[in-house]
Amino acid sequence: MSTFQLSTLTTWIRSSAVYRSIVRHGVADTNRNRSLIIFENLFLHVHPVKVREKTLKFSHTYWLGGITLVASFVLIATGILLMFYYHPSVPQAYRDMKELMFVVDNGVFYRNMHRWAAHLMVLGAMLHMLRVFYHRAYQPPRQFNWVVGVILLLITLLLSYTGYLLPWDQLAFWGVSVGTNMAKEAPLIGKPLRFLLLGGNIVSENALLRFYVLHCVVLPTALLLFLSVHIWRIRKDGGVQGPPEKASSDEVES
Amino acid sequence: MEIPVPLRRLFAITSILFFVVLAISPLKNALRPYRSIQREYARLGAARAKSQKVAQTYQSRSVAIQQIWLPGLQNRVDRCTTCHLGVQDENMAGAPGVFRLHSRSFHTPKDFDRFGCTSCHGGQGLATLEEDAHGHAENAGSPMTPLPFIESGCGRCHTGEQVAGAAILSKGRKLMEKAGCFSCHLVKGHEGFRSEAPPLESIALKTGGEALKRWLKDPKGLDPNASMPNFRLADADIEALTHFIFNTKPSRLLSEKVSSAGAEKLGDAVNGKKIFAEARCISCHTLEGKGNGSAPELSKVASRATQPWLLAFIRDPQAFNPRTRMPRFGFSEADTRDVVAYIVSEFKDFEAPPDMLNPVHVNQTLAEKGQKLFRQFGCTACHTSDAADRIGPELNRIGDKRAASLDFGKRKDVKHTLPAWLQAKLEDPRSLGQGLKMPAYGFSPEENRAVVTALLSLGAEPVPDRYQHQPATRASLVPGGAVGALFERYRCLSCHQIGDKGGDISTAPLTAEGSKVKKDWVAEYLLLSYTIRPILTDRMPVFRMTKEEAALLANAFETFYLDPSIPEDPFAGQPASSRDPAEGKHIFDTLGCKACHIQGEKGGYYGPPLNEAGRRLKPGWTYSWLKSPQRWRADVRCPNYGLTDADALKLTSFLQTLVQKPNSAKGGGR
Repeated sequence: MSTFQLSTLTTWIRSSAVYRSIVRHGVADTNRNRSLIIFENLFLHVHPVKVREKTLKFSHTYWLGGITLVASFVLIATGILLMFYYHPSVPQAYRDMKELMFVVDNGVFYRNMHRWAAHLMVLGAMLHMLRVFYHRAYQPPRQFNWVVGVILLLITLLLSYTGYLLPWDQLAFWGVSVGTNMAKEAPLIGKPLRFLLLGGNIVSENALLRFYVLHCVVLPTALLLFLSVHIWRIRKDGGVQGPPEKASSDEVES
Repeated sequence: MEIPVPLRRLFAITSILFFVVLAISPLKNALRPYRSIQREYARLGAARAKSQKVAQTYQSRSVAIQQIWLPGLQNRVDRCTTCHLGVQDENMAGAPGVFRLHSRSFHTPKDFDRFGCTSCHGGQGLATLEEDAHGHAENAGSPMTPLPFIESGCGRCHTGEQVAGAAILSKGRKLMEKAGCFSCHLVKGHEGFRSEAPPLESIALKTGGEALKRWLKDPKGLDPNASMPNFRLADADIEALTHFIFNTKPSRLLSEKVSSAGAEKLGDAVNGKKIFAEARCISCHTLEGKGNGSAPELSKVASRATQPWLLAFIRDPQAFNPRTRMPRFGFSEADTRDVVAYIVSEFKDFEAPPDMLNPVHVNQTLAEKGQKLFRQFGCTACHTSDAADRIGPELNRIGDKRAASLDFGKRKDVKHTLPAWLQAKLEDPRSLGQGLKMPAYGFSPEENRAVVTALLSLGAEPVPDRYQHQPATRASLVPGGAVGALFERYRCLSCHQIGDKGGDISTAPLTAEGSKVKKDWVAEYLLLSYTIRPILTDRMPVFRMTKEEAALLANAFETFYLDPSIPEDPFAGQPASSRDPAEGKHIFDTLGCKACHIQGEKGGYYGPPLNEAGRRLKPGWTYSWLKSPQRWRADVRCPNYGLTDADALKLTSFLQTLVQKPNSAKGGGR
């Protein structure tokens, strides 16, 4: 019998039809293959193939956008776990919160992770915006990504606000009462907007359900969409913008 | 790009830290206190077990969260038994601390699975950590009810006035009624409550300026039986209120009654004293503290009320105050004069100034100021003839109010819990903030505890219907027509109970009176009542009613107040031997009935003498009572001997042979 060799196995795998339909490029470490790795992968293709070394400097980004992005992934993961235990109904909502704290294995951990990650995401997004502003990274060609970023900030704040009601405690109830009353004061659209948001004129079970759907379906979907555009545009606009430099010739890119 | 070494180290350290942090939560989960408590319980149970087999069942218990789930009772989930594992375990009688067996009560151990734990004890049933469950942790939710107030839990389901086996709660509810809490505070079930306080219009006829001022200053100081609280009024306010009260014009009917009484001569005080004793006024009133105490103290009454008013009032109290509990006696004109002569000669404050009862010359400005004060202090809540003017907050949900939503004002000495707040509020109502109006009721510490218990029983969430326990009430308690008018006139329900309604002075409810006593005896007794149980100081007053009235009432009892479960003739269909009084006498002697009852010449004084039992009691009642005394009065001391039907009947037939007339010396004249 011929002795078993790892290389024959890997060669066999690499030549199989399934593998070739997934990985469509060779193994050679060439510029072309590096590009293909990125281009031909759904998840990687929003990233730039090459990253300039200077844009990875800590002083350029403070990793603020990255922190925000990681926080949002943590939020999605813990949020899905929390959804297993939560009913958006008046008799159940606060009770589920207690169940989570009292009996669910690691429930306190999931809930606290979700809460702290949410704080971190809001804080990160704010600081990220300041960093971009002071580095003049909103200037062309990145002006559209600035707009996308502002939309993302709004979505983040709305996510945070809608999540605030879900524990259905006194803090939540009055927080949303006050918040929606402020929205009511907006000219013309104020009252209809509040009615639409609360599903009525008071903070009731309708408001809880609407906030739940917004928090768990509508806003996260919007966040993912704009997040993809945001990151994709970073690549298209030539990577992350650092502090303004005197010579601006290398920033010109199509 | 080469990553510098310090950065790599940083990366390594933070990675390790990250994993350590991630491990904390599962570790905490694995080390939850209830796990070690359950293992300890298994050890203890095995050690206390009487047999090897039982010990093995303890040891093979799996460690898990225990709970009582009650979907039908507000979807309660009580996990208390996760740690309190021994509550239903007889093996744990006398076990230490958390494992001990629950004390026996009417609902334990049989009703654990019906009520769970928190429906009586409060606290957080969902929690599995002590400080969360008992509610001591910050933001843990409402804490457990402290044990001194535990009977408030009974009151969540038992909404009736009196709850058997919950003496403190019952006392508290009665006190709330007596103090008139419901005049200012709305409480479910008491919407129709009206205070017994006299309407204002008759006060100017009754008393004088100085006497009224002294009363307003401190009602309970003048009369310990007073139900009016102390409003802590300033002297200037008292002055203004006095002017306002003397400014209200009495109705013509009342002023004519009083002025015509004023024209009468004084009667004979010696005869008055005899009538006073015979009528037994102290069955309700007190004289220097002696007496029942549910009506005003009389020892200084002549210095508080004018002679003409006393005369007119005793003749027709219900005209002066339609809600008074005082009966309208059937005294003759002359008799009333004699009684009042006795009262004004004896029941006086001899130190009081002679002008105590002089009326006030009304100053209009002060009277108007007084009128404002009268509204402001909420006097209208009790002293009005129409619907109550409730100025206090509703109390329906008070028992579930969170301590965080209570105003403790500047009081630093009060614990931040609801029971402590309620206690402080009742002790000194105005100390918990500024501008508070509630007056001081002067409850003793025990009364305070009872009222707080009653208040804590008023929960926010109504208990589902099938958990509610309301005493069965009869559709129509009091008949209309002539009999109803007599019930009204003699105020039977001030002392007696019918169903769950009525006063608490008498120990004889009238609900089954017709099944209990013989008609001829009642008719006689109503004319000349006497003490039935020698140990009691209160007895029914002699109303001086007419023979026709007594016959009418006796007939009404015979017709309406019957209990279908009491046989009219218990001997029907029984062997002739059951009617043997000689054997009954033997049973009577063997059981030692004479320890409490007088029969013949000797016997105890606790129960009623039985020499006239055959004249007084119907055989059906006697038989039913002997079978189970507690069925008819829950608190009665007469033991239940578990007599057979035959023995009970023999005893009944013996008692029916005792038909001696009561000794006249023991009659009402004493």
